[in-house]
Amino acid sequence: MKTKTLINMAVNLGRIRLKNPVMTASGTFGYGEEYADYVDLNRIGAIVVKGLSLKPRFGNPPPRIMETAGGMLNAIGLQNIGVDAFIDEKLHFLQKFDVKVIANIYGETYAEYIKVAKKLSMAKGVHALEINVSCPNVKKGGISFGSDPKTAAQVTHKVKDATGLPVIVKLTPNVTDIAAIAQAVEKAGADAISLINTLAGMSVDLKKRMPHLKNIAGGLSGPAIKPVALRMVWQVVKRVSVPVIGIGGIMTAEDALEFLILGAKAVQIGTANFINPHATIDILEGIKNYLQSNKIKDINQIIGTFQP
Amino acid sequence: MTKDIFIGEISNNEEIQGNCFLMKVILPASFCDPQPGQFVMIRISGLYEPLLARPISIYSFSRGKDSCAIELLYSVVGKGTQILAGLISGSQVEIHGPLGRCFEIDEARKNIVFVAGGMGIAPLSLLTEHLCGDKCFSQSPMTFYLGAKTAKAVVGLDKLQKLCYNINVCTDDGTLGKKGLVTQAFQKDIKKYSPVNTAVYACGPKEMLKSLAKILRGSNFISQVSLEERMACGIGACLGCAVAVRDNKGALTYKRVCADGPVFNLREVIWQ
Repeated sequence: MKTKTLINMAVNLGRIRLKNPVMTASGTFGYGEEYADYVDLNRIGAIVVKGLSLKPRFGNPPPRIMETAGGMLNAIGLQNIGVDAFIDEKLHFLQKFDVKVIANIYGETYAEYIKVAKKLSMAKGVHALEINVSCPNVKKGGISFGSDPKTAAQVTHKVKDATGLPVIVKLTPNVTDIAAIAQAVEKAGADAISLINTLAGMSVDLKKRMPHLKNIAGGLSGPAIKPVALRMVWQVVKRVSVPVIGIGGIMTAEDALEFLILGAKAVQIGTANFINPHATIDILEGIKNYLQSNKIKDINQIIGTFQP
Repeated sequence: MTKDIFIGEISNNEEIQGNCFLMKVILPASFCDPQPGQFVMIRISGLYEPLLARPISIYSFSRGKDSCAIELLYSVVGKGTQILAGLISGSQVEIHGPLGRCFEIDEARKNIVFVAGGMGIAPLSLLTEHLCGDKCFSQSPMTFYLGAKTAKAVVGLDKLQKLCYNINVCTDDGTLGKKGLVTQAFQKDIKKYSPVNTAVYACGPKEMLKSLAKILRGSNFISQVSLEERMACGIGACLGCAVAVRDNKGALTYKRVCADGPVFNLREVIWQ
């Protein structure tokens, strides 16, 4: 290790300090324990857990996933054990690690968002909340909150009032003007903004002339969506001053660096975890190697250095 | 570490019947001994097309001095298996596993019945091998019901004949063995078996398992089935491979084929 110069990897997401900018994306890393056999959870910047609702949710009937060109469609339907079971059964496991735990939350009404936020704020070991205003899978779902600047701002405002924890708002790409939504949630008090969630999509089974997914439509993720995500992150970083977290098809350190150079303070790794359970650590190491070979001593020196 | 991703080298990958392939992969010695019913996720390193690994149950396993080998039996059903079928000896693949819950063996149930349809023979063949090597079952009567659409779709019979004397082959068109469904052949014989000391292990198409469930409904037979579903992660994180089951109160809930299965008690599965 003596030959390596020490590189600062820590970044600040407003009030939250991450030891490095590599986070996990909600819904792709379970509650952390699913991956503990594969990666040292202490090394991850932050773990964003599977979206939590007030009551447990069964999720959608199968088939729930379908591979498409360079990506996958999913319609899991926000299956989760509910906020109470998360606090009672899952949180203590994560507390054993020196890692920031971010609870992704979801509600069908403002009141549900508020209740979930309050419960998590009282629990020990949650460092921030990420509001899912964007999941396109459930009919009565988050789409109605995240697709309109007014409702997106409203839910942000209500969650902010309900918690003392930093609040990240995760945006949906299925909108006309994502920067307008980003500005609205920033004004409503969001401490950070993460984007993008999955793109709404479909796939048709030619033999049966039926959808591949029982839910008909699903959310597209994976390397196919990265160019879309990059462009939206670029649109948003220009218009807000809160930290932005880049998400969308990041498979390698090079992919992550693209987002960081554009101005994202951190990145979330999603679908890559399914293909390579070591993805988070591989990406972290790759970023370090890039900085090392470019003689950059601080990750922050590369963030937002994009030359348009 | 019990499960991880290993780089394996294909030593053989050939079409043994129309559309059905047998692939042998040489793995490092650190790959754990798989239990019958377990599967691996297989993927070509470095490619995004196909993006996801494919779940394939383990057909056979052998351990050498410095390495071990698995055999996978698969039919070409889509883009992923099509690409796997095109791989030549010497190609490298990522093998993630062994994954999932295996068949549970009850020593009190000495009489063993297998019901397999098509590729469903793969995990049951490994189970047969396992039971044949188990002192407790070496004297056990084992009966295998093996079904396929047509003679050309019957695979794995050679290996099975070395393990099991009592094999009933059925084909839909009667080109090999009896004409008819494998579940009908089992149903015809069902009175031969005592529910309390018989274990029924099954794997095959959904329709086959569904009719087996119907046949066994209300009886005291215990049956374990290995299920299939599209998967992304194989380790219980993505929740993509959901199967509807009854919880202990009888209400519908979803379990994960990859981590809670792929082996389930037939009784708990809800067929939709």
